[in-house]
Amino acid sequence: MTATSTPAIEIRNVTKRYEKHVAVRDLSLVVPRGSVYGLLGPNGAGKTSTIRMILNIIAPDEGTINIFGAPSAGTNVGDRIGYLPEERGLYRKMTVRRVLRFLAELKGVRRKEADRRIDEWLDRLGLRDEAKDWGAARVEALSRGMQQKVQFIGALVHEPELVILDEPFSGLDPINAQALKDTVVELKRQGRTVIFSTHLMDNAERMCDAVCIIAGGEKVLDGALADVKGNGASHHVAIALDGGSPGAVAELLGASPHVAHVDDQNRFFEVELQPGADPQALLHALVGAGVRLQRFELMQPSLHQIFLRQVGATGVEPGMTGQG
Amino acid sequence: MRKLGAVFRREFAERVRTKWFLVATLLAPMLFGMLLLAPLWLASRSKPAADVDHIVIVDATGRGLGQQVALDLAGGLQGGEPRARVREVEPGELSQALPVAAREVRERGARGYLVLGADFVTRGTARYAGANATSSLDMQRLRRALRDQLTAHRLEGLGVDAREVRSITSLDIKLDAERLTREGAGERGSVTAAFAFLIAIVLYLTIFMYGQNVMRSIMDEKQTRVAEVVVSSVPASTLLAGKVLGVGAVGLTQMTLSLLASLAMFRARAPIMTALGLPNVPIDLPALAPGAAVLLLLYFLLGYLFYSALFAAIGALVNSEAEAQQVALPVALLLVLSAMFIQPVLMEPESTVARVMSMLPFSAPIMMPLRLSLVPVPAMDIALSVLLLLSGCYLAVVFAARLYRIGLLMYGQRPGVRQVLRWLHEAGR
Repeated sequence: MTATSTPAIEIRNVTKRYEKHVAVRDLSLVVPRGSVYGLLGPNGAGKTSTIRMILNIIAPDEGTINIFGAPSAGTNVGDRIGYLPEERGLYRKMTVRRVLRFLAELKGVRRKEADRRIDEWLDRLGLRDEAKDWGAARVEALSRGMQQKVQFIGALVHEPELVILDEPFSGLDPINAQALKDTVVELKRQGRTVIFSTHLMDNAERMCDAVCIIAGGEKVLDGALADVKGNGASHHVAIALDGGSPGAVAELLGASPHVAHVDDQNRFFEVELQPGADPQALLHALVGAGVRLQRFELMQPSLHQIFLRQVGATGVEPGMTGQG
Repeated sequence: MRKLGAVFRREFAERVRTKWFLVATLLAPMLFGMLLLAPLWLASRSKPAADVDHIVIVDATGRGLGQQVALDLAGGLQGGEPRARVREVEPGELSQALPVAAREVRERGARGYLVLGADFVTRGTARYAGANATSSLDMQRLRRALRDQLTAHRLEGLGVDAREVRSITSLDIKLDAERLTREGAGERGSVTAAFAFLIAIVLYLTIFMYGQNVMRSIMDEKQTRVAEVVVSSVPASTLLAGKVLGVGAVGLTQMTLSLLASLAMFRARAPIMTALGLPNVPIDLPALAPGAAVLLLLYFLLGYLFYSALFAAIGALVNSEAEAQQVALPVALLLVLSAMFIQPVLMEPESTVARVMSMLPFSAPIMMPLRLSLVPVPAMDIALSVLLLLSGCYLAVVFAARLYRIGLLMYGQRPGVRQVLRWLHEAGR
């Protein structure tokens, strides 16, 4: 196997048990090099446990994990990984530059090189200009948004080949969320591998090349995004209303013999048709009922729908999984 | 190794950079100075008040003893003019004389009045009433004057020559107490005891302080959630080692600086003591043999290692300061227990309690240096104590390392004893 064909991460039959429950059960997955990989699942699905095992923070009870072809335990492979944990935090009393220098040194970057990169990042994320150098400020003096940026620099300052982001979007304001998306895209262009966990399907759908859906510690589905969506191929219709009463339309759809399932999002509906049903018949029925349509589009099921269908109501704590 | 260096540097630099480090470093020598000067100051206070003879003496002995006592209180024949006013009265007039004496005390602003009844000569009983009646030093001085003068009076009654009498009663005993060391060299006993006490207290305080420092550092990482990023970059054992070494280095730096500052202050003591109004008497510093100094350092380092490991484990297990205080109590008690035995061991450094306490790993770091600076300790005892302490350190470090990694990532409820034992077992697999 050549170096380029070795997957970034290869997890084989990994199980992790805690005192009262099994966090991860017989999980196997492969993250190809240079891909953006989504680890999807409801809260408590075992995403963080999986990530911690990849990072060798905790050890699996069974199974093996290889990073770039080498076992994750006992090697210095950690220096090639950047990690943004879900629970974020920095030394509050230290200055930003010292914290970042420390984090870089922990990854084996020499001090001088670290300082150069830190300044680059501070400039880039708007934390340093002629008026103010936030690098010299204590972490506790920074706003939450700025602290998130610093944390983000900390995960990337050693230019890792593999970047692992655990729930990176939680708690981000729209501006930082956009900055994060831009950075992920750039990392991918540079040929790096990015793996992130989320329960926000919209982000995953837009950004990921491949995904793995886990629930209750077990893999439900994985593969390239196109395959995953192809697997779930059933005809779905997106319907957007142009005014009118959504309630009446919802009733109409619910009663229609063509419809298997409706995801009612008030002004927008994602409809799964009965097997063999003709979408044109549904369109006809809607227009016949005087519904004004803005959009009626045949589509692949959204990741959100696939997720809900695969994980099912049982795997999701109520209110925990949302779209967008 | 480079990562260990990074952790070490961070722990060291962030601490040394704080204002508290500077304050504590400068405060310590002042404390040492005060401890050195305190005995001198106390000595200057341990004399009867200068105006102890500013009294009225009501003398009903009819033998002029009142005058003799007044002279004695003023410093004898070589002393100054007696300040005590003597009223000689007939034994029958005594009851009327007392209110007069009381009034005179008030009017003259004297300390009190002394009553020598007719039976003073035969039974040696006298009475004193005054503002300083509770001052034992003043009363001691009065008692001595009375005893000396009564003795002189009786000796004269036995026909002893007046000059003989004076030489007998003015006999002053000076007891010079010296400590006997193996080399046979003498040191002042009180200085040695004070020095040993100082060493024990300093060891106790520094071990406590820096042990808790390690605990706080770990708690801080856990609370701010930095721990997760850090643990993903370095093995938990490296992180723990870097912390313990870093904080320990801060301790050593601080002690070295304090010691140097103390020495500088000691060199420049003359102006300081003059400024404080103390007589510039020479202060004996007990000599510390190089071997003893090395042992002292060894006990400090091992003691610090032992306790900081235990405190580190606690820091990893708890979620808040309040919880930490609670869980750290047993460890703190071990240390406090050792400190409580400083006094008894100081009194009897050869006792069984002293020997046992200087062997047990939790108390040896304080007790053995204390014993070492008081009495010669057999080499076997020292070897055994160091060996036990080393094993204690090993166990504490293994214990801490096992709990550290698991505890660090556990948020929420504090684990119970059973769970901790389970972790220890699992981590040992």
